[in-house]
Amino acid sequence: MERNDIVLKLKNILAETLEHTNFEINDALTAKDVDGWDSLSHMIIITQIEKEFGIKFKLRDLNKLDNVGALIDVIQTKL
Amino acid sequence: MPLIFDIQNAIENNLSNNAFFINEKYYTYQEYSQIISNIRKSIKKISSDENFNVGLVTNDDIETYASIIALWLEGKTYVPLNPEFPKSRNQNIINQSHIKTILDSSSNAVFNSGMSSILTKQLPNCEIDLTPIQFSENTNAYILFTSGTTGTPKGVPITFDNLSNFINAFNKLCPNINSKDRFLQMFELTFDMSVVSYLAPLLGGACVYTIPKNKIKYSHIFEMMEDYKLTITIMVPSIINYLRPYFDEINCPDVRFNLFAGEALYLDVLEEWQKCLPNATIVNSYGPTETTIICTSYHFSNSKKNKTHNGIVCIGKDMENTLSIVVGDDEKELAVGETGELCISGKQVTPGYWENDERNEASFFYKNYNDENIRFYRTGDACFKDEDGDFLYVGRVDFQAKIQGYRVELSEIEFQVKSYLNKINAVCVAITNDLNNTEIGLVIESEDIQTTPLLSFLKTKLPQYMIPTQIKFIHQFPLNSNGKIDRNKLRTLFNK
Repeated sequence: MERNDIVLKLKNILAETLEHTNFEINDALTAKDVDGWDSLSHMIIITQIEKEFGIKFKLRDLNKLDNVGALIDVIQTKL
Repeated sequence: MPLIFDIQNAIENNLSNNAFFINEKYYTYQEYSQIISNIRKSIKKISSDENFNVGLVTNDDIETYASIIALWLEGKTYVPLNPEFPKSRNQNIINQSHIKTILDSSSNAVFNSGMSSILTKQLPNCEIDLTPIQFSENTNAYILFTSGTTGTPKGVPITFDNLSNFINAFNKLCPNINSKDRFLQMFELTFDMSVVSYLAPLLGGACVYTIPKNKIKYSHIFEMMEDYKLTITIMVPSIINYLRPYFDEINCPDVRFNLFAGEALYLDVLEEWQKCLPNATIVNSYGPTETTIICTSYHFSNSKKNKTHNGIVCIGKDMENTLSIVVGDDEKELAVGETGELCISGKQVTPGYWENDERNEASFFYKNYNDENIRFYRTGDACFKDEDGDFLYVGRVDFQAKIQGYRVELSEIEFQVKSYLNKINAVCVAITNDLNNTEIGLVIESEDIQTTPLLSFLKTKLPQYMIPTQIKFIHQFPLNSNGKIDRNKLRTLFNK
């Protein structure tokens, strides 16, 4: 999958989980920058990503997700 | 011997061992004692009468942990201030506890209006001195502020005497902590589980492993446990609820002791978790901040049937230094099997809320028990005792909730919501999500309104864990047979 397609899908997942679109997806974006993206919604977002992309994260993957760029990298390695 | 001398001896006897692992870096007891001494010297310079309570910015670094011991060696009390909490809340705590000085390891002082900060990262080295001054065991070691009903947090002071009684009891539960132990410290310093998680290891010459702030906690805890072969772990149950989908990836044979506290622990998840820690003694425990960290304990067994009530693991019996009873409305002790309010007495019970006569009147009472006049603390927790004398947890008797181990007065959130919405009624309920973790649901009695401004307002007034995570609207609140708002019915709005 192209990086752009991943970004698009990701944007939808975030918008649906957080119920707003007040964010711009870029590699440097972190959870801290986005309203409502706390440890609880993070869980839900991770589960949604696994569902939408048909992948499964390892526990250790979760610690590497420092920003959206890293998240996309990890998703790409699993596709 | 007073606890403070045990701390001094433990540090001096372990100088070459590691004391802390923080942010990928080890610190030996030698380095720790140097930083303690530097901070202590700067504390000696401030006026002693005005500064019995000293603020402590709760950063995750060696200076913050050194500040605690430095204050204690000078017979002073620390009041933790989380820099991520709203300014107004911290200011309220500062005012209530008459704080004039704050120990701060940040590069620029977090609090700068009307008080002085000691920037603990910028102090020169001085001669090491860990000999405590003389002070009474009734001196407060710390004051923690917990959620209060009217929007004002209330302070719980814990004395050195309370704390040493707790430590004696804990060392019986988890014996022989030594310099080979690696101890997990996952708690924010405003939460009292942090105290046992740094103090018990320090007293045994073990190494404390802290979890970085602003990280996803549960996955970091796992990585730390596995990579650094932690041997003793104290955690809130929500951690294993989060980890549950990944249990098949977790194998930590080095853990020898695993303690749970702070929230209801469910047996089904615990039985699965036990397989991840094949060699650990697993203990469930219970205790409000007012009775010093934990005061009852129950050993999980992987061969015998474990006691539960509604799936919640038994909280067991009193540890060494408390006596707990279940009472009915008239403060009379109830029979075995009858549910009432759990009340706790003994050497771990706080002398009383900080400058709050009204709360003290409501929360403590004297009762003749075993021919003695004993002071009891009302926990607000509904429990019953079984034939063996084990306590089983039923729920709250009032409108409190436990969120990630933090105690939350739902009425405090409602108070802030209503102050913003102006004449619109609102109710908060504790709801259990799919992971068995507790979330806060907010129901507003009105047509749908835009909630973003309300949530932004709440974030300026309340810590993150108190912000509602789900919001519903209802035309009119349902009432129960007593004519009160039916909170149970409102809770069902969230069961999708």
